[in-house]
Amino acid sequence: MPSPSLLLQGLALGILTGGVYALLAAGLTLYFGVMRVVQIAHPAFLFLGAYLTYFLFTVVGVDPLLSIVVTVPLFFVLGMAIQRYLISRLRSDSLTMMSVLLTFALALLIEGSLGVVASGSFRSITVDYATRSFQLGTVRLPNDRLIGFAVATVTLLVLFAILRYSRYGQALRATIQHPEAARLLGIDTDRISAVGFGLGLATAAVGGAVLALITTFFPAAHWGWIARLMAIIVVGGLGSVSGAALAAVMLGVIEALVLVTLDATWAALVFYAFLFLTLVFRPHGFFGGRLAGRF
Amino acid sequence: MGSSEVALPAASNRWRIAAAALAVVVLAVYPLVAPNAYLLYVAVFALMYMALATSWNIMGGLTGYISLGHSAFFGLGAYITGLAVTRGSLPHLPMAVVAGLVVGVLAIGIGYVALRVRGASFVIVTIALVYMFNLLAQGWRSLTGGSTGLRVPVIGDLSRMQVHTLFFYMFALMLVLVMATWWFIDRSKLGMGLKAIREDEDKAQALGVPTNAYKITAFAISAGFTALGGGLYAAWFNALDPVFVFSIIIGANMVLMSLLGGVRHLLGPVLGAVIVVPATEYFLVQLGETQIHLVATGLLLAFVVLVMPDGIIPAIAALRRRRDPPASSIRESAAGAATPQEVTP
Repeated sequence: MPSPSLLLQGLALGILTGGVYALLAAGLTLYFGVMRVVQIAHPAFLFLGAYLTYFLFTVVGVDPLLSIVVTVPLFFVLGMAIQRYLISRLRSDSLTMMSVLLTFALALLIEGSLGVVASGSFRSITVDYATRSFQLGTVRLPNDRLIGFAVATVTLLVLFAILRYSRYGQALRATIQHPEAARLLGIDTDRISAVGFGLGLATAAVGGAVLALITTFFPAAHWGWIARLMAIIVVGGLGSVSGAALAAVMLGVIEALVLVTLDATWAALVFYAFLFLTLVFRPHGFFGGRLAGRF
Repeated sequence: MGSSEVALPAASNRWRIAAAALAVVVLAVYPLVAPNAYLLYVAVFALMYMALATSWNIMGGLTGYISLGHSAFFGLGAYITGLAVTRGSLPHLPMAVVAGLVVGVLAIGIGYVALRVRGASFVIVTIALVYMFNLLAQGWRSLTGGSTGLRVPVIGDLSRMQVHTLFFYMFALMLVLVMATWWFIDRSKLGMGLKAIREDEDKAQALGVPTNAYKITAFAISAGFTALGGGLYAAWFNALDPVFVFSIIIGANMVLMSLLGGVRHLLGPVLGAVIVVPATEYFLVQLGETQIHLVATGLLLAFVVLVMPDGIIPAIAALRRRRDPPASSIRESAAGAATPQEVTP
């Protein structure tokens, strides 16, 4: 049994990492909510965002956190285009399966292009303000994790505010809850879905910047994240933004605690264990997720 | 529901028999006339993927449950065979069959959990399976050798050409077996039930189809054959890399090949593999080990999904229907009433 201070350290790191997981998984919840689409390419877009951040930093010298001013609008438009010109072309009777395959193809395209343009070698960004750490009693909090957590919190709060208080957010939530009723009320659900997709991809731009700051990355890195992020949204209940966030923090903490008590392999298996436990005992997820029942 | 119900003139049956006979002859002679080891190797690889894609199609085509994670079963079969040969000094080929059976039984348990969800959630679960076994294969160093992989001794004292020849016939045999299984299920009561699940699972259940038992049966058969393919791969290839055998790309290839050819047809996955494997090899030879082949695979998959989601075989059938004169007999036009251009005015 590890010492209490080590456990406390694990707990603190777990919460910080869990916050980042919540940001990384937020887009998946949005796609699923508005389009009933599982966007397998989301992690690939995260790493595309990370690479854009990397090149903006190394070539132009833009600070990783400032680069989102460029990448967020870019990804927003890209997301709208993907929904408009690709996803909405699929036949509605096979939309779920075909969209999985289509976004899988996008993931291959992104990974292949990154491999050609940026080669397969590992990259990371070092900025001096992120390499220091912050001491709180016996717990040491690395600055990069703190920054990641803060960025994730702010982004999720902004997203939540948009969904909750803007007129557009109301229309989006109506579309998620009942597309036909929303159309009857005069909501242009196609346009709303496109914007929802754009918002989802915009979170990938922010997530990519955070990933670039806190981890090393390479073109094929996204595969390892797909199953992890999917586990989060299933445990959280497909389609529930707050459910996914809670599940992300919970799994982040458990992962970190397993990491300090056992080893990295067991820590990574936490996600799969919870995914399968959820499916066996509560297929609709642990935190809400009314939508999952329809699949 | 399948192509089998399209009424075909009697003459085409003779053509079918002739085509099948030609295929058998080509398969029997190819290893003897293959000009070099590389071309034989590509043919073995293509046959392996034909067999794997057809195995996948037992689940994917008949039930409509798309698994992106069949490489989990492929890898399990490969590792079970590889470990039995290296640690237990057991014979290669029987162990591949044992691996297929073991994984088939294991898949009943996995299927029981995974098939509790449908659609997108099912896809998520299958992807998670691949990564779970990938982690286990890399993390359990003392057993599997971890990320350095597993070296499997060469079968017998055969030369490279002889090994390729042996496994050319082995994979061909497996392909015949899997195709026969698919053909048989397609025409059985089980197949009817599976296709009812594909069209509307709730209605099928309401009509008394034991949906769960049927789905799990199809899943286990599909997984077992995929593991047999993995076992043969381990015995043939002699080196197992956990990152490769448990990669999502292998599973995705099975899906791509099946969709490209047409999941509702016996020959669909075979045709898909015949196109994709040589194309992939061509890219590798022409461009070297760059990532361009990923881009090519992605573009092809996107093209199939957006333009030709039913596959090549139905697309060609539709073209032929448009070209041929409308069916003459009353019975035939009644049978073809679903397609408007065949209805006589």
